[in-house]
Amino acid sequence: MEILIQQFVNALSLGGTYALLALGLAMVFSVLGLINFAHGDLMTLTGYAMFFAIGAGLGMPLAVVLGIACATLAAVAMERVAFRPVRDANTATMLLTSLAVSTILHMLFQNLISARPRAIPVPSWMIGAVDVGGLAIGVIQLMSITATALLLIALSIFLRRSTLGIAMRAAALDFPVTRLMGINANAVVATAFGLSGLLAGVAGVLWLAQRGSVDPLMGFLPVLKAFIAVVLGGLGSLAGAVVGGFVLAFIEVFLRAFLPDGWLPFRESITLTLVIVLLLVRPEGLIGQRENVR
Amino acid sequence: MNNGPEHLLDVAGLEVRYGAIEAIRGAGLEVCKGEIVALLGANGAGKSSFLNAIMGLVPLTSGRVLLDGEDIAGEAPEAIVRRGMTLCPEGRRVFANLTVRENLAIGGATRRRAGDAATILTGMLDRFPVLAERHDQMAGTLSGGEQQMLAIARAMMSAPRIVLLDEPSLGLAPRIVDTIFEMIAALQHHGATILLVEQNVDLALDIADRGYVLASGRVALAGPASELLASGDVERAYMGRD
Amino acid sequence: MNQVSTTRIAAVAAGLMVAGGTAQGDSHGITIGYAGGFTGYLAPYDQPSLNGVQLALDQINAAGGIMGMTVELIVKDTRSDTAQASVVAQELVDDGVVAMIVSCDVDPAVASGVMAQVAEIPSASSCASTPTLPAAVGPYMFSNYTADNLQGAVLAEYARGQGYENAYILLSRDTPYTEKLPEYFGEAFEAMGGTVVAVGEYTMGQQDFSAEVTNIGGLDPSPDVIQTSAYEPDFPAFIKQLRAAGIDTPVLGSDGIDSPTTFSLGDVAEGVVFSNAGFASPGSALEAFEMAFEEKYGTPNDTVFTATGYDLMMVIAAAIEAAGSTDGPAIRDAWDNLENVQVATGSITYKDQNRVPVRVVALNQVSGGERVHVGDFSPDPSMIPAP
Repeated sequence: MEILIQQFVNALSLGGTYALLALGLAMVFSVLGLINFAHGDLMTLTGYAMFFAIGAGLGMPLAVVLGIACATLAAVAMERVAFRPVRDANTATMLLTSLAVSTILHMLFQNLISARPRAIPVPSWMIGAVDVGGLAIGVIQLMSITATALLLIALSIFLRRSTLGIAMRAAALDFPVTRLMGINANAVVATAFGLSGLLAGVAGVLWLAQRGSVDPLMGFLPVLKAFIAVVLGGLGSLAGAVVGGFVLAFIEVFLRAFLPDGWLPFRESITLTLVIVLLLVRPEGLIGQRENVR
Repeated sequence: MNNGPEHLLDVAGLEVRYGAIEAIRGAGLEVCKGEIVALLGANGAGKSSFLNAIMGLVPLTSGRVLLDGEDIAGEAPEAIVRRGMTLCPEGRRVFANLTVRENLAIGGATRRRAGDAATILTGMLDRFPVLAERHDQMAGTLSGGEQQMLAIARAMMSAPRIVLLDEPSLGLAPRIVDTIFEMIAALQHHGATILLVEQNVDLALDIADRGYVLASGRVALAGPASELLASGDVERAYMGRD
Repeated sequence: MNQVSTTRIAAVAAGLMVAGGTAQGDSHGITIGYAGGFTGYLAPYDQPSLNGVQLALDQINAAGGIMGMTVELIVKDTRSDTAQASVVAQELVDDGVVAMIVSCDVDPAVASGVMAQVAEIPSASSCASTPTLPAAVGPYMFSNYTADNLQGAVLAEYARGQGYENAYILLSRDTPYTEKLPEYFGEAFEAMGGTVVAVGEYTMGQQDFSAEVTNIGGLDPSPDVIQTSAYEPDFPAFIKQLRAAGIDTPVLGSDGIDSPTTFSLGDVAEGVVFSNAGFASPGSALEAFEMAFEEKYGTPNDTVFTATGYDLMMVIAAAIEAAGSTDGPAIRDAWDNLENVQVATGSITYKDQNRVPVRVVALNQVSGGERVHVGDFSPDPSMIPAP
């Protein structure tokens, strides 16, 4: 029983990171119909910003702030430089553009910084565990769960209360009509990218706290997981992305924890099979709606 | 041509092309302040293309679009809305997953001062009481007629100088359509200027001051609503060249 | 930082320019080819290897070259792509190289090695550690790096020497290195009387080891030692979560964690023992290499792959010298008979080893964020698991 609760907390913590990433990906997808494969590289940027900030003796808190700010600004810049010129092009063009941005960033990281990982020392207090009702919960896990919860609450308030937030949800449903409300398309898209960068930055900090180093290709795998979570939750649905992130994490953690030894080599295939089964049952995703007429 | 201030909207020589297809071939019309002008025509005559082009939703190949004497041809839709012209699109297109309140709030997004939006909102809820009842309901759960009212109210939230209504009767039961048209007429009495696109000729000309009939992307017929209604020429224009 | 960056860019750019096709086999010099993954996922290994190779080349040419001829290096990027690895290898063959260095990973190494094999040009992978690699390609293919079974045996011997009875192994089937090395360790550990109580599996990059860690905490009997060849980002994530769960079982790693990250982990990495290709003790050849490296590149060396790249270039030079010829078969035969070639990490012997070299394995311990030399080992050959 205790192990079960422990694994539950484990899944919650991992799910939080997946959810933040997936939400960022979904936010951009919902307004542009673009899966931004350079999303993961925003995490990498956070890592390098933190690496240089710590190297410059700025200390951890400032490094975290700079790291998140860097991802946010980079996301906005990415939109302005790479995606705005192709906004009216078809989906394939935008997809290829995002892959190109990602590849260019990898090359820049590898050749201007280093192909080798760069260490990001995490303060030792973050490595311990705290006792919560007899359960040992890692400080990083606790931070991950707390940060996810706070960020999701803040975002939900923004999306429900502010005009720009409502406009973003409207744009996700029907972009042309949103413009007919006098909402500036560029502002909506830039906000979506900025928020996705912010989310990637926070997810990046949590991810980096676990892994302890940044390398040029570190964003690839998480963006893949986030993509699965987004599809699972329902393409275009923000709530779906969050749910998809948690569901994916629960499947992963519980399979790794409770599969018999002989089955372990197949855990990834089983995870994806479960995802496919879920999608067969609900082709529109867990929370998704039937396709809106565009 | 003399653009007297009485022409709130003045469109001339409008051309819209989708690839090789010419949807609008040099059409034009005028709408004066306080008028309801009906733009009629058969399916595929180019009515929606006309509206979408002057709203900046689809690019126009050439032509002049003057709003209160200022050329707005080729501007982005959001800029045109901020200048005071808005479109209530065909098929209602309410934001289904947003509440009625949120739909209206975003309609009033261009009203920078919260007080303005609140005043307009009170006016709209007075005029469309059903929207007040459904305030916190998702727009997607409203009936078709309620959605159409919401779409119109949402468009009016920006306090436009002129509103373009695209097929407000589409897909609604006749009894509901009558109610909607009464509301459109009431809007005029409160000072609104309306360009109304409709397939339902009789209903439209009934509330309109003047009418234009589009056929194959050109204006085939124009005149005061009562004359058009009486003459029977409209029927002929509908059947006309294709 | 900047200095090394520009050097790297220059190196890559120079490589690309040469790849553009200016260099042909030069009768006045000796041409060596390097088909490596300088961009893509192999860049973390092949870029440092290249830096080591170039340092060796500088020293060789400054000392008069090989047999009085200057040595030229043609560098071609495989972009870490296996298909491209065979294409650029063929280009290098056409350029007239007399020996070829190929990628760090097994698959592209085989793809390139086969091209060299057909042309009867000897080749070696910069840092692939799978002991079966040379046999998979043929008599012209050599290994350079410390083989996985050798490292596994050294780690097992050390573990038994510490009196550990029960071991937990964490492996990933994503690469031969992360899968086989722990398995070799387990095989040797059991052959020496120990017991492997459980085997855990992870996916590279999975980041979250909470499930595995919770399982380790619940093992009965609980292990005395944990061995894994996970490297970053997996290793730091694993050990942080392991220690955060209050599990203080000793951990044995392999050379993949020989990285600044490991030494920046603080308390969690304290006491971790890992194997690698050498320890730069004062006065050693490796210390001299480190100094020369810093002088050339303006930044301290942060990985052993530079040194093993340097070693490989020195081995190739020794093989050509010994052959007294630039003829492929002659170099191959000489290479296969090299004994005690003095290189940065110690000495290397190929004679009677089926092209998988015997080289020293050093054990290091992380202590107070520094590395402490546990010792250099060369285990009894009978204790090395067969590949």
